[in-house]
Amino acid sequence: MERAGHLPGLSADAVDWRTLTFRRGAETLDVAVPVLTEAQIAEVATRVRTNARACLKNRTVAEIAAVIDRAVARLLDRNGPWRQKAERLLPLVTGYDAEMVRLGLTGYLKTFRGPELRKFLAEDFANPAVLDDFQPMPKGGFARAFGPELLLHVWAGNVPGLPLWSLISGLLVKAGTVGKLPSAEPLFAGWFAQILAEIDPELAGCIAIVWWRGGDETTERAWLARADTVVAYGGNDALEAIRARVPVTARFLPYGHKISFAMVARSALDAAKAGAVARQAAYDVARYDQQGCYSPQTVFVERGGRVSPREFAGYLAHELDAIGSKFPRRSLSMAEAGSVASWRNAEETKGFADPSRALLGDPAGSWAVAYTDAADGLLPCGLNRTVTVVAVDRLADAVPGLAPYRAFLQTVGIAAAPEELFALAGALGAVGVTRLCALGRMTAPEAGWHHDGRFNLLDLVTMTEIEGSAERAADAFAPYTD
Amino acid sequence: MTEARLVEDLLAFIAAGEADEEAFNRMALAVFAHQFETNAPYRRFATQRARTLRTVKSWRDVPAVPISAFKDLTLSGRPPEECPHVFMTSGTTKGVRGKSHHPTLAVYDRSMTVNFRRRFMGDFERLRMGILFPTEQAMPNSSLAHYLALARSEFGTADSRYFVSDAGLDVDGAVEELSRAEATGEPYALLGASFSVVHLMDALAERGRRFALPAGSRILDTGGFKGQSREMAAEEFYGRLSAAFGVPRRLCINMYGMTELSTQFYDDGNEACPSVKSGPHWIRSRVINPLTGQEVPRGSTGVLVHHDLAHFNCASAILTEDAGVEVEGGFQLLGRADGADAKGCSMAVEDFLKAARAP
Amino acid sequence: MDFRDRTVLVTGASRGIGAAIAKAFAAEGAAVAVNYLQNAEAAEAVAAACRDLGREAGGDAWAVQADVTDAGAVNRMVERTAEEFGKIDVVVNNAFRPYAFDPEKRKLFWDTDWADYRGQVDGALLGTYNVCRAVLPVMRRRPGGSIVNMATDLVARPTVPYHDYTTAKAALVGFSRNLAAELGPLGIRVNCVAPGLVCPTDASRATKEDVKDAIVAQTPLRRIATPEDVTGPVLFLASGWSRFMTGQVLYVDGGLVMG
Repeated sequence: MERAGHLPGLSADAVDWRTLTFRRGAETLDVAVPVLTEAQIAEVATRVRTNARACLKNRTVAEIAAVIDRAVARLLDRNGPWRQKAERLLPLVTGYDAEMVRLGLTGYLKTFRGPELRKFLAEDFANPAVLDDFQPMPKGGFARAFGPELLLHVWAGNVPGLPLWSLISGLLVKAGTVGKLPSAEPLFAGWFAQILAEIDPELAGCIAIVWWRGGDETTERAWLARADTVVAYGGNDALEAIRARVPVTARFLPYGHKISFAMVARSALDAAKAGAVARQAAYDVARYDQQGCYSPQTVFVERGGRVSPREFAGYLAHELDAIGSKFPRRSLSMAEAGSVASWRNAEETKGFADPSRALLGDPAGSWAVAYTDAADGLLPCGLNRTVTVVAVDRLADAVPGLAPYRAFLQTVGIAAAPEELFALAGALGAVGVTRLCALGRMTAPEAGWHHDGRFNLLDLVTMTEIEGSAERAADAFAPYTD
Repeated sequence: MTEARLVEDLLAFIAAGEADEEAFNRMALAVFAHQFETNAPYRRFATQRARTLRTVKSWRDVPAVPISAFKDLTLSGRPPEECPHVFMTSGTTKGVRGKSHHPTLAVYDRSMTVNFRRRFMGDFERLRMGILFPTEQAMPNSSLAHYLALARSEFGTADSRYFVSDAGLDVDGAVEELSRAEATGEPYALLGASFSVVHLMDALAERGRRFALPAGSRILDTGGFKGQSREMAAEEFYGRLSAAFGVPRRLCINMYGMTELSTQFYDDGNEACPSVKSGPHWIRSRVINPLTGQEVPRGSTGVLVHHDLAHFNCASAILTEDAGVEVEGGFQLLGRADGADAKGCSMAVEDFLKAARAP
Repeated sequence: MDFRDRTVLVTGASRGIGAAIAKAFAAEGAAVAVNYLQNAEAAEAVAAACRDLGREAGGDAWAVQADVTDAGAVNRMVERTAEEFGKIDVVVNNAFRPYAFDPEKRKLFWDTDWADYRGQVDGALLGTYNVCRAVLPVMRRRPGGSIVNMATDLVARPTVPYHDYTTAKAALVGFSRNLAAELGPLGIRVNCVAPGLVCPTDASRATKEDVKDAIVAQTPLRRIATPEDVTGPVLFLASGWSRFMTGQVLYVDGGLVMG
């Protein structure tokens, strides 16, 4: 039995716990998640708010970053107990391949080390000291950035560690933090809070990690009513439901489901390079079984290279096969298998009407690549290592078709020469793409990434400005005034 | 084999009353050969699955067409323009309707009547019927409308009637008819789409009306209720049904049929939900893993595949989108098989299509 | 080895080693296309034998005529095979141009014309080239394709220097390794089986006993190969058991050639 969450000031005995059971093969893990009463919610919210006011607001952002750095270091230490626990339990809970989780954790956690946190800050604040004290502004006067006193995170999904993004962003702006665990991976966020408690109990007192059942409107409302700012993840239906319950005075920052894709220019398709490009694309497809919003679901491949789009699809297929032996796909639920199967069936059926289409991969295999010569736009695949290769004459030809999906576009993994990269970047940005990266890096955004094109930290703060007039007027009241 | 000869053989096969493994196999292979030879899209589909006249050796080898394919492919042995009867699925997400072409309804009708008599009529030759669905004239492409019209003409008394028209559900007419049945003591049969039955129950509840239909009365519903967990809904539905009409749950029979089939499945009432469904000897079902196509171990949940020899002109083997489990005497339906709730933040097809359709 | 639901094309399968290979696949449940050049009757007999042998395991066979050195004929054969079985998982390139293996009457180098070389290269290499080109589009549709090309141990040890024949087979080995490198990234494997002298076959009929005795004397396993000896390594290379092997040559000669 693993106890999830982090509840400052509440003893475990005082709380009701509910058990979520996770199975992987013959192994099972029971995770106890806290179910708080309305009174306990009020108590925890007040405590977090009070503690944040007393502790966080009086620390410098550099001090806070140093504590986070130490906590992340413990999670990176492969001999450390927390890391070992994460490596053992996260594959069990999420179903992902253990080695993929291990490598993924390291790659991900690295982006939260001290120097990386400074990048985070520098991305959003020309002068991060604005979080500590009033700083002179170019227009005159002074300004200081304040984070919310109570920031509520509603997390979703099962990609291990994902909640860390917004959790750390909140701490960097000195927000009292309440995070709602995703039922699909209810451990990591709580562990992080517990590690902080080992290092700096006072700081950990500004964080509560809680849980409620999806659709438990009463509890959700109780939390939402107490938050100054709400960061929420999920599908648009879920987000819409949350938004309807967020008080109008609170700031609501939704992160909806997104779709990402890859682009391969003919310059990357000579006989020597195409194989490596296919390998990188396959890695992006396989990583976390395409559950991430940054995972590619379509690959646009330019005609005219030495290796044709159709041949590229073949390379991609075999690379997926090869990756599958290193990082096996997690076992799918019947519903997920049904989704993959119906995507496969639909692709197969389309192939009868259009012989240029092909579906590569064994029905019993753990991946599938569809290929089409038709001018198909972006289309979601069946997830779980399924992808469509779309042949285009010019990569730019694919861009106009993306316009209707502006609100849903996120990452583009791209293999192209510099001039093409910048030309495409302009067109892609204009239709709503917010991130371009190398193939092979789609699932590992760099530190300080502007998630969905937003400012991770700036979005959370409010600025308090001392206008020049106040400063000048104050002069008149100084005891030393002449 | 010519189509006429195949039809003859199928009618004889249905008339035989039973079929052992070998007989079913022989008929299934003949139907497969007919479809493979006369139906080019089906031949391409089967060949792609490496299922050809040469490689299919048992009915289990006959490749099952996913029902979604009926929307994209014209699966008909005879050219569609030569088929006077076309049944279509109701609207779908993409607005494309799946079609089943029938050059003749001789086999469909025989399949329906033989099975309906056995599974619904009990000892009655005819029953006075009330039908909660539009007429065949109003919905010429609805297989259910045809099915219910056939039920009425073959098994209904002359004064059987419809309660659904352009004007909607005729609650007054239904109340009058049900009251009459209650008063005369003549057993009554109510048949229709599940959702219409729900509408009627709601309307009756609004009026505070309940009936205690005479002994032997029975109810047939079909189609289920979209968007709800089937077991939960079923338990509640049959509880309400029995209470509203005074018909014991064992005589509240659910029919499971599809536009893409020519044969229906029935349960033996709904005292317990989910009920056990079964079909006659000319249809067999398998429960498979949707990805591998392999049969799952008995008792495990999978997706249903039906091999309906009566559906001779289209594709006799179809892969449904219904989850099910094989049990003693048939199978249980467990709802839709796809529509996974996304685990991550990657956009899934359903959401995407919805988003794309939004203004 | 389970070849149920696997489809195999064996070229030059109406007799000798090819026939033995076809039967061995069928006995393990494969659907086999028995390619032949001239002798329809023999090919039908092999197909019938295959079906008999495959009855238990689900094997099947079908005779199909094509001159493998004629690209058009090969394309038609592959197309028809794909229609008949729906796919092709394995190809065994076994057909070769008739050659008189006679140590006493063989041509010496200075008697060997370039036309002799060209004839053998066409026989061994062109046929294989045609078949590989034709099956590739079919094979690429599914993972796990395997191509097995029949070479000879003479490539490594020219016990008798049949210049044209062995040079062509050596070219075939080089061809196979290049193809293995090209198709590996597509998940298709290419390997060779290189038998020593195999008896009885039509090709080895002229081989005298004293030659056989000499070979036996130098062979660690102390006998001449039979056609059935060759089938095991072919089936192995066609199966998943060798799924991480490509570009290899397996010598099947009782240890005459090692390494």
